[in-house]
Amino acid sequence: MLAFVIQRVAQSVLVLLVVGLVAFSMFRFVGDPIDNMLGQERTQADIDRLRTTLGLDQPFVVQYVKFLGGAVQGNFGVSYRQGRPVSDILMERAPATLELAAVSGFLAISIGIGLGVFTAIRRDGWAANTIMSLSLIGVSLPTFLIGILLIYLFSVELGWLPSFGRGDTVRIGGWTTGFLTESGLKALILPSITLGLYQMTLIMRLVRSEMLEVLRQDYIRFARARGLRDRAVNFRHALKNTLVPVITVTGLQLGSIIAFAIITETVFQWPGVGLLFINAIQFVDIPVMAAYLMLISVMFVGINLIVDLLYFSIDPRLRADRTKAH
Amino acid sequence: MRRHLFAAVLLCAPAAHAAEFTWSETTDPQTMDPHAVNSTPVLGFLGNVYEGLVRRDEDMKIVPALATGWEPIGEGEGWRFSLRQGVKFHDGSDFDATDVLFSYERASSEQADTSSWFAPVSGVRMVDNYTVEIMTNAPNPIFVDSIANWMMLDSGWAKANDATRPDKDAGNYATLNTNGTGPFRVTRREPGLRTVLEPFDGWWDDATHNITRAELTPIQNPATAVAALLSGDVDFINPVPIQDTERLKQNPDVNVIQGIEARVIMLGFPHEAATLKYSAETMDKNPFADVRVRQAVGHAINVPAILQTIMRGNAQEVSQLVGPGMRGYSTGLAERPAYDTDRARALLAEAGYSDGFSFGFKCTNDRYLNDESVCQAVTGMLAQVGLRATLDAMPVQNYWPELRADNYDMYLLGWSPGTFDAEHPIRFLAATPNEEKKLGSWNFGGYSNARVDELLPMIQSEIDDTKRQGMLDEVTAILQDQAAYTTLYVQPLIWGTRANIELTQRPDNFFNLRWVTVDQ
Repeated sequence: MLAFVIQRVAQSVLVLLVVGLVAFSMFRFVGDPIDNMLGQERTQADIDRLRTTLGLDQPFVVQYVKFLGGAVQGNFGVSYRQGRPVSDILMERAPATLELAAVSGFLAISIGIGLGVFTAIRRDGWAANTIMSLSLIGVSLPTFLIGILLIYLFSVELGWLPSFGRGDTVRIGGWTTGFLTESGLKALILPSITLGLYQMTLIMRLVRSEMLEVLRQDYIRFARARGLRDRAVNFRHALKNTLVPVITVTGLQLGSIIAFAIITETVFQWPGVGLLFINAIQFVDIPVMAAYLMLISVMFVGINLIVDLLYFSIDPRLRADRTKAH
Repeated sequence: MRRHLFAAVLLCAPAAHAAEFTWSETTDPQTMDPHAVNSTPVLGFLGNVYEGLVRRDEDMKIVPALATGWEPIGEGEGWRFSLRQGVKFHDGSDFDATDVLFSYERASSEQADTSSWFAPVSGVRMVDNYTVEIMTNAPNPIFVDSIANWMMLDSGWAKANDATRPDKDAGNYATLNTNGTGPFRVTRREPGLRTVLEPFDGWWDDATHNITRAELTPIQNPATAVAALLSGDVDFINPVPIQDTERLKQNPDVNVIQGIEARVIMLGFPHEAATLKYSAETMDKNPFADVRVRQAVGHAINVPAILQTIMRGNAQEVSQLVGPGMRGYSTGLAERPAYDTDRARALLAEAGYSDGFSFGFKCTNDRYLNDESVCQAVTGMLAQVGLRATLDAMPVQNYWPELRADNYDMYLLGWSPGTFDAEHPIRFLAATPNEEKKLGSWNFGGYSNARVDELLPMIQSEIDDTKRQGMLDEVTAILQDQAAYTTLYVQPLIWGTRANIELTQRPDNFFNLRWVTVDQ
């Protein structure tokens, strides 16, 4: 067990290091931050001086090692654009992204499962067929288009919801939340639908097909034969057994909700880490880009690590195989 | 513990108010320090908070601000400023000559991005508490114009908060906090998110606006900004995308305010290069070194057609490095080379390129309005006369390093004169590059003309306006004859407001809250 854990953790660290190395080797192609940082009236001497100060004249491997040296001490450097520590900026922006991701995830799971069950039970009804056809939109339309369409419908034409931003927020310790104000809640609606729509349709289609599968099983027929009510059969027996694969997929999708938030945040000017990352690319703000990419990869690697370890503890065959192999 | 948490809950939800004003710009001012970054988003925004000795009025004219008057000292040895009395900073402390001295030291320090404004200054002297003398190395007629954005900081405040020098790398107190003398004070600053301003009750001048609270939110996505304006979530957006202009004009709820910006869009050439870099067949020489080839480029481009189609009638063609309305514009030389493909072909034949030649054309795709489309049109028009350009458009972050490395045969450049004077582009674009004298720092092609170099210092120190204009005209004529650059047009400035907003647009693209009125 311990050997397995150590091996997996070591692999994860290796993946992180490689991601960082690839990221740093790419930064050169994003452009040169110097011209953004100096005004129109800069001289070549100013350019050279700043380049040396920032260490941009060194090979990217050296820059990377320096970044790692700071990162392990929790110091991600100072943003070129804002002139403030990157860790402060990320802490400011993280609540916006996490709240958006949480609401999107909640919507995706609750509506996705609900509609999935409905379309499975009423598989030939007109309502179910309409929902199935509409769900194709969620799968096929790109996020930014859905976002713009929602803005034009609900903000510009109907004027019900704000077109951008996060509304008023309330500060609780180091966290800012939009859950406690009316404008904050209103501002959450459109972006969370935009962000969660893909996952919602995915979960719905998954639940539906699993449910159809389960409904054919003998124990469901037996339950019906026992005279149990439809509700008990559908929800207590059938749904429960469809959830295992759904939970696996949802867990893996959680990471991509946070990572895909970049597009939604750009469309809605949502002040989260995704928007921060886009702005950082435009400005070639290397410390911010590096910190963001590392955090996202830590998140993905972490989720995968947990999943691996869970499988290991759940599935005894895995353990048996390993002891035989060695 | 729980009790403490509740105590920390801070509700920041101000009630909707009559004369509240919200606006969005593409770029958030990256700092609140007026000496740390010399750029339009920063200085334009901070002009509402901080003030200089002088300021520009609605028509860009220099008028008194923290100085009530100024006069030259002797035969152009410098300028004497009389300071306004009774001016208060936002924290209540008094403004006087020590703050001017301190702001000079701060803004001209090596850490400041504004130090080039003070290159002609030899020293600053405090005569008494409300009189300051700024001495210049040579007579300098436009010195007062050139310090219009030099903003005054309170020396006591800066010292108390350990911000006596700007810190661009790590930031300091002045990066996030302000203490100016201007009409508005910053009450909340969340970088990249929102910046809230409220009127300063103790302002020395009479307020002409009716704003009780103003909020700036940067919106990067143009479609989102337009939607925010249409839905009334913001009162003003800058800029309006050109392609949305017509649609917004049709909408009775919004107004479109159009003008021309100070920025001139032009084509640059490799004057010094021995050979072309990206030619398929012309490997051994540089055709652009021949003035006739450069003139042919000028005649081959149909600027009115570009303005009509790509800019949708929103820009103005220009014949020189500054647009009309700038100080020192040469009114007698306002004609661009006529669009004449026969003349262009004849010039090319004369230069020995009757079959034309191929070359590489570098262009930005995110810096100027519709820059890539303009470059595509230029490429097509040049092909008509046999100049076969291969267009390479890229983001501006990759663009400047390419130009600095001389990786181009022709390039696109936009130039906005920081001083709104014709001397500015001559210094940066036409003077022979000289690192030590800080000349020609954006003259990528290395254009060099002895007479221009000779005239530049004379222009810089000539007090007599007529003589100065004569020399500026001479430089403009030389640059036109030599076709040093092919100037195309002055970029438009397109702002969008809700119909109940009145404001003033200036060609420097600075937005002043003090000229905003919100009709109820």
